[in-house]
Amino acid sequence: MAEPQSPLGHTFVPGDHGNSAGGIGLVLTERSDVSIVQVTAWRGTIPAILTAIGDVTGLNVPDKPGAGRSAGEKSAFGFAPGRYFVVSPSADLEDRLRKAIPLETGTIVDLTHGRSAIRVKGPWSEWVLSKLFAIDFSEHGFPVGFGRATLHHDIHANIQRIDAETFDLYVFRTFARSFWQTLGHAAAEVGYRVE
Amino acid sequence: MTASRLPKGGRIDRARTVRFTFDGKAYSGHPGDTLASALLANGVTLFGRSFKYHRPRGVFAAGSDEPNALVTVLNGDVREPNVRATELEIHDGLVTESQNRFPSLEHDVMAINQLAGPILSAGFYYKTFMGPAIGPLRSTKVWMFFEKFIRRAAGLGRAGIAADPDHYERMNAFCDVLVVGTGPAGLLAAEAAAETGAQVIIAEERPVAGGALLASAELIDGRNAAVWAREKAAALAGRANVRFLTRTSVWGYYDGNVLTAIEHVSDFKPNRTKGQPRQRHWVIRTGKTILATGAFERPIVFPGNDCPGVMLADAVRRYAVEYGVAAGTNVTLFTNNDSAYEAARAMAQAGVNIVAIVDVRADVSGACIEIASAAGAELVLGHAVTGTHAGKTLSSITVQHFNAQTGHVSGAAREIKTDCLGVSGGWSPAIHLASQAGGKPEWDEDLQAFLPPEANQNWVTAGSAAGYMDTVSVFSDGATKGTSSKTKPKLPAVDAPMFDASPAPVFEIEPAAKSQKAFVDFQHDVTADDIRLAYREGFHSVEHLKRYTTLGMATDQGKTSNIPGLAIMADVRGITIPEAGTTRFRPPFTPVSFGAIAGERYGDLRPHRLTPMHDWHLANSARTYEAGLWHRPMIYGSHGETVEQAYVREARAVRQSVGIVDVSTLGKIDIQGPDAGEFLDRVYTNMFSTLPVGKARYGLMLREDGIVYDDGTTWRLSETQFLMTTTTANAGNVMQHLEFYLDCVWPDLRVHLTSVTDVWAGTAVSGPKARAVLEACVTGTGVDNATLPFMGIVHGFIGDVPVMICRLSFSGELAYEVYCGAGYGTQVWEALLEAGKPFDIMPYGLEALGTLRIEKGHVTGAEIDGRTTAHDLHLDWMLSKKKPYIGSGMKDRAGLNDENRLSLVGLISLDNQSINGGSHIVSDAAPREPADSFGHVTAACYSPALGKYIALALVKHGTSMIGNRAYATDLLRGKHGAVEIVSHHMFDPEGSRMHG
Amino acid sequence: MIIKCPYCGPRDVIEFTYQGDATRQRPDPASSDQAAWNAYVYERANPMGAHREFWLHSGGCRQHLIVTRDMATHVISSVGLARDAVAAGKGGDRP
Repeated sequence: MAEPQSPLGHTFVPGDHGNSAGGIGLVLTERSDVSIVQVTAWRGTIPAILTAIGDVTGLNVPDKPGAGRSAGEKSAFGFAPGRYFVVSPSADLEDRLRKAIPLETGTIVDLTHGRSAIRVKGPWSEWVLSKLFAIDFSEHGFPVGFGRATLHHDIHANIQRIDAETFDLYVFRTFARSFWQTLGHAAAEVGYRVE
Repeated sequence: MTASRLPKGGRIDRARTVRFTFDGKAYSGHPGDTLASALLANGVTLFGRSFKYHRPRGVFAAGSDEPNALVTVLNGDVREPNVRATELEIHDGLVTESQNRFPSLEHDVMAINQLAGPILSAGFYYKTFMGPAIGPLRSTKVWMFFEKFIRRAAGLGRAGIAADPDHYERMNAFCDVLVVGTGPAGLLAAEAAAETGAQVIIAEERPVAGGALLASAELIDGRNAAVWAREKAAALAGRANVRFLTRTSVWGYYDGNVLTAIEHVSDFKPNRTKGQPRQRHWVIRTGKTILATGAFERPIVFPGNDCPGVMLADAVRRYAVEYGVAAGTNVTLFTNNDSAYEAARAMAQAGVNIVAIVDVRADVSGACIEIASAAGAELVLGHAVTGTHAGKTLSSITVQHFNAQTGHVSGAAREIKTDCLGVSGGWSPAIHLASQAGGKPEWDEDLQAFLPPEANQNWVTAGSAAGYMDTVSVFSDGATKGTSSKTKPKLPAVDAPMFDASPAPVFEIEPAAKSQKAFVDFQHDVTADDIRLAYREGFHSVEHLKRYTTLGMATDQGKTSNIPGLAIMADVRGITIPEAGTTRFRPPFTPVSFGAIAGERYGDLRPHRLTPMHDWHLANSARTYEAGLWHRPMIYGSHGETVEQAYVREARAVRQSVGIVDVSTLGKIDIQGPDAGEFLDRVYTNMFSTLPVGKARYGLMLREDGIVYDDGTTWRLSETQFLMTTTTANAGNVMQHLEFYLDCVWPDLRVHLTSVTDVWAGTAVSGPKARAVLEACVTGTGVDNATLPFMGIVHGFIGDVPVMICRLSFSGELAYEVYCGAGYGTQVWEALLEAGKPFDIMPYGLEALGTLRIEKGHVTGAEIDGRTTAHDLHLDWMLSKKKPYIGSGMKDRAGLNDENRLSLVGLISLDNQSINGGSHIVSDAAPREPADSFGHVTAACYSPALGKYIALALVKHGTSMIGNRAYATDLLRGKHGAVEIVSHHMFDPEGSRMHG
Repeated sequence: MIIKCPYCGPRDVIEFTYQGDATRQRPDPASSDQAAWNAYVYERANPMGAHREFWLHSGGCRQHLIVTRDMATHVISSVGLARDAVAAGKGGDRP
């Protein structure tokens, strides 16, 4: 099938930017090859949903607010009561989740086209993201694997911490270009590379 | 006054030279200097002209409390006015100028205002607004006469016109403990808090930590106090759990322990690193706040107290100790308390020559006497300064005998030659942030000062901010307030003479015969007599006093003037200061630039929302406009075409053949669950549970009050899944509306909602040839009338992209909406254009979209304006009688069925002139004020289908007015024209075209 | 102001949307009692002191919360998910 078009357009410019003469504090990438599926449990079906997510992805997400897991390119995390993002490079993710999760267990919405997945990696990731979002990015406030739903002005974002210095951001596609530019401005101070 | 650099001392780097200019003249200083210290070191003592009277003013303080020495910093064409010279760090290439003077600081023609003193007194503006006749000028004419002179003469720095080229950013921070201030209390409190393992943020407004220790003559643990502070601060900054921010002024205290601060990141640097912001706006959420904000010295008010050379005693000390600058050759001090002696000790150590110490008290302690004698200063006890002699700067003071108990001045005046007078009227804890946080400050009789209020959030004040005025108790209080843990940091040993912190309660020296003004608020030129005048004119409460005289309302927020002003008012009212009360402090503590508050959004105030086909639109000469956050094509222009010509061409193409329009902006909500149908029955006025799978239906929503809320089509994709579309503008609101009912009204319904607006790219294909276009490119499904009837839905492919097609029409033509994954939006759009080539398919913008709907009488937000009912819009047929729904309970209220309500009609221009949106509908053929308006135009256009200018309007008795002539009038834009009122279905009223 | 979302934790007030008085009682949907509808739609108490209100965590988990807030001091004494409270019969004016 034809390649989907990135929403970033001409604003995606690979290479070094900002104060890169002083080093590369951050690497920004667009993860265009992943499927993003939202799964929502009914009241009382959260354990069944988590089991199903585990069966499909191999990720065992604990049943507590914002908890999540990631392994390689796959990840899953909660960001609202009973509501999870499941992300995977496999194109049949939605089909497999749909098979594992009947309507009695929950509902599924494929958001792959509706979100832009951006990875922010580097020693300055907490610092730069703190410029844009009013949540605590320190590791004790935002542990590895966990997810958050928050916003930068009008731009809603789901954020998952992958490791000490890596965050995955999912922003609404129609805002992605504007957000990408704002992210670049915020990162300019520490020097960043677009890959 | 001859200020000069002392041969040694200060924390300036004397090995390096910094060059800058002030009023066009080149000066040099050293790294570590402020503009104030560097200019003083160069012998400059005249810094500006005062607000109303244009009196010469010098530097008065040494920090953020400075009322006088405000300058404008120039950076090319960019002006930053009202910067305090006492905080402005010099750097190579810094260009500054003085303010409020013309033509120059030395020769200011507006100084003539001093002669107009009696007219410019308290309440000048109010009096001239409402006041009596002066000569031929009556009441407000007086104001109008004076205004242009006043506007030019009164004021601070001039704002620039050039855009600020800098950038700013916001920083969000979280911590367990925020310590504001790094004097002795702040350092110990921060250390105590950090020891517990808490996450600590320390904010210091100055470039270096230490606060009062920086100018102290005391020894801490046997070492120079400033050195001790520097080492302590470095140790704290090195801790993993501490973030140490310098040049960071905490300026606001908000609910929930949220504080705001401005960090000067690079505006003190000659060259900025790429990407570095000028200032960073910190928003700090903290568990606990420790306000170690110190105390401000306050002046004593006396006649002639505003000439250059009169300063705060502590400021004279700080210039000497911190910057190695003697503010005068022969310094005198005037005090009501012991702190001036500690200042004298430090000044003398730094090499400043002190000729006399004038103290209002008849007796002082042995320690004080010893210091005066060691400094070689004459001790003039039981006296007060009653006047000054100065040209552009101080040359001498007069002192007289003074009774500190009665406030009585007596005896002969004696003159003391001096070029710098340091004044100390006691110290006021810096309670600004505590006061912002809430609560009423409490008066302390010993300190003659307001102490912080009782905490209503998790904050404490520490050190002199809490009323502890000697270093030993400040250290101890800091350590105590920093932690509740039993293990406290070891208290440093302090080697200093012991002083009494209580001042004599003397705020103003008022000799019987006054020849000079005595200023209270230097920045706003408010005198002691202005306060007494305000009292005589009936403005007694501190709130009235503040507004009537503008006392404390300048950019310094009354840091030096607040207490003396209150004390004078309390005195004339014959009450105590706490009885007079104090005003509440409000943010910001120090001025904050707008750019810093806008942060990263400066210059780009909102995000831009782009459809998947945005780049195609721009590449194909679309002119876009902003609709909410969206950027949408208005028209696709070609050379030399007007907007009207373009949309008429586009709309005509749709009626004649086929056009396509980007409808990706429509709100789209995925609704899933066993109760989805029931849910929609409750939120829509019409029935959805009966809608067959694979069909769409037009739906109408009301608000609870019976007014129309939104409309759109909702598609049934399966038994338990619907796709709702909403108007573009209302998408977010409708989502919230639905979420509210599911969460708060019907939590028993098993329904999930998800916004999928961004998931789908939508293209509407409209026109008689629309089906032919689809037939040419859609595979996997038929699109014939049987397979895809009106309001039917099919799934198929365009190329290899899966698409969902619904046959529905906003234009009134045979039309389809083609949805695909947003990432394929442009491909599908281009494939449709390719397939439409044989039919001269034409992309059309919002103007043509609007034209087509106006011709058809379809409503949008212009008609669904929050006031109209379904009946007003002729949508009664959508109101189900079989079920209740949101709004059904109130829609039959008498007022909503009044026969005088406005209802939807069409208008046709009878004079072949365009009709303005917003025009009033009147019956008067002559253009005049629309007193008899009985309606208004909601939308207007030229209709290519009808060959006429038409409009939609909401008109009283709408339907029964059809066939009548009226006038659409818009006198503001010079329009008045005859119209015929017609049915809102102006084109193809039978709807035969879309069913074709 | 900070609201402590039961799911997301403490967040700035800017992430939340005020959704009105949580003490009013929606009449039976089929009711035509205009006084009851009038009270539900228009009548609001403005107490100085604690007040129950709906807030939507629009910038986070998108759940409606019932927040008990002191109207004079802004001090928030309790926050819960509206769905839970309403489903348990503790919505509306049933504290």
